[in-house]
Amino acid sequence: MTKYSALLFISGLVFLLMVITGLLPMGHTPMLVGNAILEGAKDQVGAANVVTSVVLGYRGLDTLGELSILFAAASVVGLVLTKSSFNKHASNNDDKHDHHDSGFVAVNAIDLIFPLLLVVGMYIITHGHLTPGGGFQGGVVLAVAFSMLVIVRPRRVSINHGMVSIIESFAGVSFIVIGVVALFKGQSFLQPLLGHGEFASLWSAGTLPLLYLAVGLKVGAELAGLLLALNTDEVAS
Amino acid sequence: MNSLVLLVVLPLFAAFIIPVVAKFSPKLSLFTGPVVLCINLLLIMSAWIKVGSGSEAIFLGGFLPPVGIVFYIDHFSLLFSGLIAGMVLIVWPWDAKESRLYSLYMLLSAASFGLVLSADLFNLYVFYELLAVATYGIIAASPISKVPNSSATAASLRYLFISSAGSVMLLLGIAIIYTLTGTLNIAHLATMTTSLDGFAGLSAFALIAIGAGVKAEMFPVNSWVAEVYGTIPRQLSALLAGLVSKLAVILIIRMLLMVFQQQAAFDLLLVVGMLGVISGEMVAWRAKDMIRMLSFSSIAQLGLIFIAFSIAGSKGLWIGMALMLHHLLVKGGLFLMADRFAGHMGKLKGLAKHSPMAAAVFLVFVLSLLGVPPFPGFWIKLLLILNLAEQGGGLYHVAIATILLATVIETAYIFKFVRILYQKADADSTPINKNYSSSYTFAKLFALILLVSMLFVSPISNHLKDIANHSASPHIYINKILPTKQLGDRS
Repeated sequence: MTKYSALLFISGLVFLLMVITGLLPMGHTPMLVGNAILEGAKDQVGAANVVTSVVLGYRGLDTLGELSILFAAASVVGLVLTKSSFNKHASNNDDKHDHHDSGFVAVNAIDLIFPLLLVVGMYIITHGHLTPGGGFQGGVVLAVAFSMLVIVRPRRVSINHGMVSIIESFAGVSFIVIGVVALFKGQSFLQPLLGHGEFASLWSAGTLPLLYLAVGLKVGAELAGLLLALNTDEVAS
Repeated sequence: MNSLVLLVVLPLFAAFIIPVVAKFSPKLSLFTGPVVLCINLLLIMSAWIKVGSGSEAIFLGGFLPPVGIVFYIDHFSLLFSGLIAGMVLIVWPWDAKESRLYSLYMLLSAASFGLVLSADLFNLYVFYELLAVATYGIIAASPISKVPNSSATAASLRYLFISSAGSVMLLLGIAIIYTLTGTLNIAHLATMTTSLDGFAGLSAFALIAIGAGVKAEMFPVNSWVAEVYGTIPRQLSALLAGLVSKLAVILIIRMLLMVFQQQAAFDLLLVVGMLGVISGEMVAWRAKDMIRMLSFSSIAQLGLIFIAFSIAGSKGLWIGMALMLHHLLVKGGLFLMADRFAGHMGKLKGLAKHSPMAAAVFLVFVLSLLGVPPFPGFWIKLLLILNLAEQGGGLYHVAIATILLATVIETAYIFKFVRILYQKADADSTPINKNYSSSYTFAKLFALILLVSMLFVSPISNHLKDIANHSASPHIYINKILPTKQLGDRS
């Protein structure tokens, strides 16, 4: 009975959404703010990638909020997993698959790829204001690089938990500090500083690349920390 | 004035550094949060004086609206900011062992400050989401000792599902508004209300109301309330029922007052409010356990607040604000009291003799909750009913009948409970938890504030009326946030 009522509810909801979608001016939506940003972004922010000027310029506070959400989620995972009783069950059959790497091919391939992944990640982060990409995407690549190392050698390689949390804190704090510096200069919070520089060069768009660097480090550390929490919890105790 | 953004930024800063500080000195990390909240209180007080009877807008990043994010500051938002700082200080987890919990409390307060200050729809969504994630964690991480870990996790998980569904609906509503108008700034939206008339606009409001309604304990989406409040410490229930629910209400009300001044929107809130009042009181009437009773009575009170906001214009805001403050004091106080006596009602026989003071404080709260003169609750309910009677339309009169009926039910169950308290103790009644607890002290403080406010009903109500008049006016809001007529002004 519950299944049918749930089905009925969902189909009603879908129908409602379709009706609403039909009423919307799809394809010719008003672009008030959108057009204003497209016109003004080059002169106001100076980033060649318009998306970046929105993410870190016009809506910098939202990005700080998103970072905090990620941070909150990572903290919650850490808190809940360390409290739960999962690890007790896991430790029983601990000895069976101890000290096993993922085999020759995987281990060597990851060793080869690891530095390349780091370079790609850093490239995506530092060129976020010029080309598509940026701190979030590059941060994920960095986290993937480190998690690969752990995955192929589950027991031998471990990431220093303290280091991860220090990087994470440092990145978050520097994002805020860059914003507050503008405040102390009598401007608004997160107002871009340092001038625009030469358009579309690496040193352009003021503080935006620095902010993206902070975002990238934070996202990378956060995701790596998450993986670490999941990984160590199975093994520990 | 620009420095008021620190209200949001300082707690975030603290949340980020607490894990590192805790590695070097756990003591220091424990005190970081309260210190930040005290600084925030000072900031709020100085801003309160500076703003005076006017209001201010902060343009973040130096970008003028509507392209940038704006914080709007008036006495309404400052009042609630002050309450946030005070409430979080009161429930601060002094005995928690995990530093990550302090971080989550800091994130929760940052998100709360953002929710009352921001005047940008998407920014509001981000803070709402941050508030939600921080709340999941706090709920999951702090079960009370009697409840098994797993049931707290289950309650938190179910809450997560309901709340995420709510967040998606909220986001969908915001997306519809953006598609229709092309802007997210609430003041900018207020200048183009005509494009939000009609079914699509109304459905956007309904989606926002129901989405945010999950936190506001609104009628169809409040099934998490009793379960969650049953598994978490009472101080935390006081925070969630007293404060977090109000923040979601504020989000809905901002949209209603500034953008959706349509009769259909008011009717929607009225109906949802009435259903909430009736269903909440009915379940509370049958409850056998004090926390359950308080949870469902809280749902009913939130329903009452929605009824108040269905009165158009500044009057609705005035009465709703009074109701919110009253509910914060009373329900917050009751949950803090419940720290001392909880469990099955039958076991609380003879409590009054054991601890006459606790019983008296309890009585003060419930009498005001019921609306017995001369307690403040009476004046607010009277005001609400008088103003509902002034409104045309049958629905408003049905609402009056609903409120009166609900009061009867409320009286029945509250006095059933009070009678138990004053009965003679018998064999299986448990003596109350005599351990010194700070939350009981705060409950007494709340009762004292309630009693003192009884003497100053008229000045307080006048002051609230001034605040409401200023905050409910879209003209002031638009003029402050959009100082020059900007692009795309279609009116």
